[in-house]
Amino acid sequence: MAEISSEGGNKKHSGKVKGKKMSTRVDLTPMVDLGFLLITFFMLTTTLNKPSAMELNVPVKEKETVDPPPMKEGKVLTLLLDKNDKIYWYVGLSEAKLDSTDYSPEGVRKLLIDQRDRVARDYAQDSLRDVVVLLKPSNKSRYKNMVDILDEIHITEIKRYALLGISKAEEDYIKQPNAKLNDLMLKYAN
Amino acid sequence: MPKNKIARKPTTIDMTAMCDVAFLLLTFFMLTAKMKQEEPVKITTPTSIAEVKLEKDILTMTVDPKGRIFLSMDNHNYRQGLIARMNEQKQLDLTDKEMATFANTEAGFGVPLSKMKSYWGLPTRDRERYMAETADAGIPCDSTTNELSEWVLQARYAAAEVNPTAPLRFVIKADQNTEYEVIARIVQTLQDQKINRFNLITGLENDPNKKEGEE
Repeated sequence: MAEISSEGGNKKHSGKVKGKKMSTRVDLTPMVDLGFLLITFFMLTTTLNKPSAMELNVPVKEKETVDPPPMKEGKVLTLLLDKNDKIYWYVGLSEAKLDSTDYSPEGVRKLLIDQRDRVARDYAQDSLRDVVVLLKPSNKSRYKNMVDILDEIHITEIKRYALLGISKAEEDYIKQPNAKLNDLMLKYAN
Repeated sequence: MPKNKIARKPTTIDMTAMCDVAFLLLTFFMLTAKMKQEEPVKITTPTSIAEVKLEKDILTMTVDPKGRIFLSMDNHNYRQGLIARMNEQKQLDLTDKEMATFANTEAGFGVPLSKMKSYWGLPTRDRERYMAETADAGIPCDSTTNELSEWVLQARYAAAEVNPTAPLRFVIKADQNTEYEVIARIVQTLQDQKINRFNLITGLENDPNKKEGEE
């Protein structure tokens, strides 16, 4: 029991009214309870860490559609993010073959690392030997999907990437993976 | 046996020290922590390895899983400027008292322009309840009506009036499960106003590249 006592030992009530000696002990237990209640209040209602933020740069939208600078197909990896946490990917355009992966480290992170290394190896003679990742989330994917991929791109230290919208041709391509992407794109080009 | 009576030791513990510790901890928390920002709706952000801390004087767009958009600014003067401009530009007919309530509310708000007058006349509890419960709360940002674009533009003007050298920074705080479509539209709205750099608020995640104890 908490107490401050001016003198030690018990003091019994002696007699009736006159000469009543009251003990001067103060029980500090409620004080301690109060202190801990206040601590708990402050621990729950305040925050010590500021939320962290991730930078996102998007390309400037031009008034007229400017053709992107030509680049070798083999350097371009396109990631299509679909609903239910599905990722589809293909390399290049004319010889594209659709494949899929997931969000685990063995999935998309391994894919990014493999592609990065492949491009660095195959195009070692070029001045630009970085892989370019085009990230195209579909409207049905979750925000978390996009943030996770951007995060993986940062983790694998890929410097060149772009966030774009998915095209109708690509949405069809997901449904018909055996079709040729080029044909689908031509279909929608008119 | 009466001769070998065990001396009675007092069982009371002196709690003065415990009390001191409790108040020291309390003082620490009171001085070092900042009060949590009231959020219009509860959001669980996705995690990322990004460690850049958030700055001050920003415009935060909070998006909940249903795709409703709420706006908040942490600078009181910016808020004042913003509501004055919106009131004028959109003829909202807000009284000075309602505009003052707006300027004093640090937590976000999300109301279509048509409901602005009635919303800011409500007391605080009703406003919070409105935002939590009404399905069509939030600032509209779709192909037919894009009020978000107006808010963003006026916010930039308001911020520039107060602080001409520092342009307003934009931050998107969206829930993990928000559909990408909403985010795409917000990004589009910002791009149309030539805002190409913004931040996404994320929770902290361990960087697999960094080893333990490395900076």
